[in-house]
Amino acid sequence: MSQISLTINGRAHSVDTDPDTPLLYVLRDDLHLNGAKFGCGLGQCGACTVIVGGNAVLSCLIPVSTIGTRPVTTIEGLGTAARPGVVQQAFIDEQAAQCGYCIAGMIMRAEALLQHDPAPADDVIRSQMALNLCRCGTHMRILRAVRRASDKLKGRA
Amino acid sequence: MLLVSALVLLACTWRPGIAARPASEPPAFDAALVQQGARVAALGLCANCHTARPGAPFAGGFKVATPFGAVYSTNITPDRATGIGTWTQAAFVRAMRDGVARDGSHLYPAFPYDHYTRLAPADIDALYAFMMTRTAIHAPAHANDLIFPLGFRPLLAGWKLLFLDHAPVPVNTAQTVEWNRGAYIAASMGHCAACHSPRNALGAVDRKDFLGGGEAEGWYVPALNGKSPSPVAWNRDSLTAYLRSGIAPAHAMAGGPMQAVTASLGAADPADVRALATYIVSLMGKPAPAIEQRALDAAHRPVALAAAPGGTDAAARQLQLGQRVYADACARCHASGRTPGSGGALQLPAAIAVYDPDPRSLIRIVRDGIAPGPAEPGRWMPGFAGILTSEQISALAAYLRHSAARQAPWNDLEKRVAAAEKDDRQ
Amino acid sequence: MSGALNAGRRLLLKAGGALTLAFALPRLALAADAAAPTLPGSLKKQPLLDGWIRIGADGSITVLTGKVELGQGIKTAIIQLAAEELVVDPARIHLITADTARTADEGFTAGSHSMQDSGTAVRNAAAQVRVILLDLAATRLHAPVTSLGIRDGVVTGPGGAKVGYGELVRGQELHRTATETSVLRPPHHHFLMGRAFQRVDIPAKVTGGAAYVQDLRLPGMVHARVVRPPSSDALFASTDQNGAAAMPGVLTIVRDGRFIGVVAQREYQAVKAAAVLAAATRWTAGATPAAAELHRAVEQMPSEATTILERGTAGQPGRTFSARYRKPFQLHGSIGPSCAVAQLEGGKYTVWTHSQGVFPLRQALAELVGVDKESIHCIHVEGSGCYGHNGADDVAADAILLARALPGQPVRVQWMREDEHGFEPKGPPMASSVQATLDASGQIVDWAYAVWSPPHNSRPGTAGNLLAGTLLAAPFPVPPAVPIPQPEGGGDRNAIPLYVLPNARVVHHFIPVAPVRSSALRSLGAYHNVFAIESFMDELALQARADPVAFRLRHMQDARARDVMTLAARQFGWDAYRPQVGRGRGFAFARYKNLGAYAAVALEVEVARDTGWVRITRAVVAVDSGEIVSLDGIRNQIEGGVVQSCSWTLCEEGLFDAAGQLTTRDWAGYPILRFPQVPDTVHVHVIDRPGQPFLGTGEATQGPTCAALANAIFNATGARLRDLPFKPAKVIAATQLARRT
Repeated sequence: MSQISLTINGRAHSVDTDPDTPLLYVLRDDLHLNGAKFGCGLGQCGACTVIVGGNAVLSCLIPVSTIGTRPVTTIEGLGTAARPGVVQQAFIDEQAAQCGYCIAGMIMRAEALLQHDPAPADDVIRSQMALNLCRCGTHMRILRAVRRASDKLKGRA
Repeated sequence: MLLVSALVLLACTWRPGIAARPASEPPAFDAALVQQGARVAALGLCANCHTARPGAPFAGGFKVATPFGAVYSTNITPDRATGIGTWTQAAFVRAMRDGVARDGSHLYPAFPYDHYTRLAPADIDALYAFMMTRTAIHAPAHANDLIFPLGFRPLLAGWKLLFLDHAPVPVNTAQTVEWNRGAYIAASMGHCAACHSPRNALGAVDRKDFLGGGEAEGWYVPALNGKSPSPVAWNRDSLTAYLRSGIAPAHAMAGGPMQAVTASLGAADPADVRALATYIVSLMGKPAPAIEQRALDAAHRPVALAAAPGGTDAAARQLQLGQRVYADACARCHASGRTPGSGGALQLPAAIAVYDPDPRSLIRIVRDGIAPGPAEPGRWMPGFAGILTSEQISALAAYLRHSAARQAPWNDLEKRVAAAEKDDRQ
Repeated sequence: MSGALNAGRRLLLKAGGALTLAFALPRLALAADAAAPTLPGSLKKQPLLDGWIRIGADGSITVLTGKVELGQGIKTAIIQLAAEELVVDPARIHLITADTARTADEGFTAGSHSMQDSGTAVRNAAAQVRVILLDLAATRLHAPVTSLGIRDGVVTGPGGAKVGYGELVRGQELHRTATETSVLRPPHHHFLMGRAFQRVDIPAKVTGGAAYVQDLRLPGMVHARVVRPPSSDALFASTDQNGAAAMPGVLTIVRDGRFIGVVAQREYQAVKAAAVLAAATRWTAGATPAAAELHRAVEQMPSEATTILERGTAGQPGRTFSARYRKPFQLHGSIGPSCAVAQLEGGKYTVWTHSQGVFPLRQALAELVGVDKESIHCIHVEGSGCYGHNGADDVAADAILLARALPGQPVRVQWMREDEHGFEPKGPPMASSVQATLDASGQIVDWAYAVWSPPHNSRPGTAGNLLAGTLLAAPFPVPPAVPIPQPEGGGDRNAIPLYVLPNARVVHHFIPVAPVRSSALRSLGAYHNVFAIESFMDELALQARADPVAFRLRHMQDARARDVMTLAARQFGWDAYRPQVGRGRGFAFARYKNLGAYAAVALEVEVARDTGWVRITRAVVAVDSGEIVSLDGIRNQIEGGVVQSCSWTLCEEGLFDAAGQLTTRDWAGYPILRFPQVPDTVHVHVIDRPGQPFLGTGEATQGPTCAALANAIFNATGARLRDLPFKPAKVIAATQLARRT
């Protein structure tokens, strides 16, 4: 175990954990952040997606020892139930969830995509979101939510 | 005088157009010929470049990055407006042999007619039958994006003059029928040298270093000749299995551009793939016994990788960092005896990429991972781009070179890592 | 008034000045033995109004349901119903879902029964409570009931008089038995039912709020992982615990026969220790029958035949056609692997679980650890979508066994991805044969259908239905599987078509022993049976030279079925459709269980012969779910069902190696549909039937989507696929054989 410093949603944290601990467990168990989810631990489903250093990253794969000073953003950093961020609001407006377990990962992937490309074409959204799985079949609403968020960011909504 | 010379030269580049195939003649081909053509297409990997998305096979639009800019593959479905539906057999043959389109324009050798030119007439005829019986898809061509003045196609006539060799593949009477079949496939349909041989400054395959290693899509493509870097010797069976499935257990996984190759070869006649493997294996050098023994040991009785050296010089520090990155990010799957998910992770002393003379393949594997095609089951290594910084990837690569391969360090490692990151940002 | 109160468990909760009395609810038997068989919905099982609705002194309203949220939106729909009938702002309602100490025993949340059973009960109970409150208010305000109005939980009377619900309920006014009929609010008064109303659970789920059992954190909670055999029949040979036991944070390792679990302080410590322990554990191959059975055709497995339909006379003259259809093992594949937390304190166990049935689970757990069920309290906390019987019950069993080893500490067990894929009960392989005769006019005059299927129900019940129960050194026997009887059915669900078939025979071949544990997967046998029947209807239509929709309508008298079929066809533009090259259209219909929602699906696919790529471009669904409570809830379930069924149909098969081990243990081995392959659009048209009973909708499109896909692929390519899934290699092979110009 060692002391690892991390910057999560703009705040500095110091956690005492094994350096090879994937970020996912630190977020959930040490920092009590529920957004990033355990879906597979193998990098295949995207339920654990967060943003590190501006890139969408699978938190089940990134060991805390490699993060360094790169800022980490989780869904909790995008907004709250009282004041949701743009992408979160778009998902609420489209009622884009059934069981909802995959949705936090979807929102983080979409957020990263829109930060890099605020007006992506439909096929780009599909290919960029492809790593994230949804088992309930909510895909149509998720795509509409990302489009809605993109429109909002471009001031078209 | 100069102007006259230029005009004469230009005139020499001219090729006539060939009349369009009349629409009233719907193509009718013998089913056996079409099937033969399917086998040629599978070996020829046509779909790999001519298919940009699985819903539109052979409709083109796939971007081929070259040192001269980007070339986009054309629509070779029988659509009359945007594909090759108006091409007669003669036009098709000319394109395959001479790299000239139906309208007389020269084709860029990103389309490997410098290999297809060696096809037997019967194979080109069969391929024509196959292509003309595909589903016609309306998909206009994507414009190329080449460095000026390479967009001027007549220049290609000069290139062909220098580099297009029509000589057929010679038969080697000292070898078996199967070996010769493999040699023919490799040199014509398989166009292996297009990726596995080095190219000269004008982008032509260097025939003097046949299958001596090349590059494709940011990957280093390993040598298949005496310089083969594989730590474990390939044999006919293992190479056949790999070419048909993308997996050689405890030895190799097809990654990057090779994934589509093995997918296509998986649909080819198994006897042909075996012939190809027979031929290629005969060219390959063998690994040094010590290297092979270590690699085989790791595969069957996992051993820990050698520790990074102590010391405070930059090189030692880099190796120490690499060791930590490996322990924290990779060991979970790649270390002793662990089999996560639907299959095991390769023991790295057996991994070809760490023995390559060039770190690009290892960098791409680490950044991109290896994933099966859509809706296809397969092995899955996740990609670590975004997870590991360039400094961490460099350190990891250096560590694996040192401790898994035990070879001399790559001297251009950081440059290659930076280049890969830059490519990905575009 | 029920007299069977369990006096030993009476609790008193003070809430301000008023009392809300919470009673342990009488243990009433399930449907077969309902306490009040004539009451609507689950009021049959729990006839007391305060078993469903409670009102606090501050006007807060607690609604209780024995059903659980699976992601189908049931919490929201029930709140809508209750708030509608009580005429309150839905934000006032606190909903409690299945909890063995507090709610009615409504069995399993399954079979699309929730709205029919619990929704109906809550709605009627709320309506009856409203009437009671109005009566109480009339007395309090000295005004006739007819002069009273309600606005958000406040009863208003003449001259501005008003009194809130909280002031009206002082004692046991709601502790009374429901009546058979209720005064339901008329549709033209509805302000919630059938209106747009956002899901109550989504805001937390999109902002990182605690929402799932996976999010539970209890003081002193420790983390566990299990080590499973490589296949369900593998035998334990040896283990060396020393390595794992010495690892940092490891608290204990429990081994009992083939059951192995490791508990650690921190979660990732448990993950690592379990990996080390797994590598140090040896297993040997189990008995071979299971492995051999896995590769046998379903029709060759030992089975018991039951004729479930015998109508008219066989042997009618005409042209006779036949076909066989089959499906493989398929997985629930819950995106969040199963998880449970259990704690043993003071001789009592508390288990937090996402099981679909906390009451039956409690019974099984009690048997497993050898206590009475009163010593176990099971509380439902949402998991990820389960789509039937997944690992939820089994992980609860793992948790209770490990909690027993560490009294006082809450133990959290999280299955890994390989655990969930490997050991969840699977949707079984099935096969059917269909034969029908067309007369000269193209009408079906004879129909024979036979379906072979392993069990679709291995739910606890008993400890032998829990995975851990079968792994112990002294294992519990697996109870023999029993077919689910008609009219619901298991493997024979939807095996009887709704069409008018004057001469018909349907036989169900029940295979009591599956080579690998099989159980309920969303829609059970309906997915396969509707695939087979609706594919065959298209094959017959072709032989009759009839349009597929017209052919079906010719054989359908049920007016609601006809309505959804014509609506879907019209909205799709069926009659005017002209296919482009590489595209085709397909249609299918079913009424789920012939008792639930009606659904007709019309869709277009694009098929690329050379790559075997199949994708729905657009789908149109028409559905009739009875009276609409949550329109968006219905749409969401239908859209989701279409996309999920498409994934099953195009991608999914569970595969085993020669040793009987599952080879498809993660998303790499068992791929499901990803974004690039989903449709462009799915449009859902819902027919509202005010006053009609609610019809279960969650499973209505599994079967029709599958058949519509098969029919559309045929329309596009001339290739008739009868063997699921329609993976690329199969599509390539079939379309090469059936070239169409």
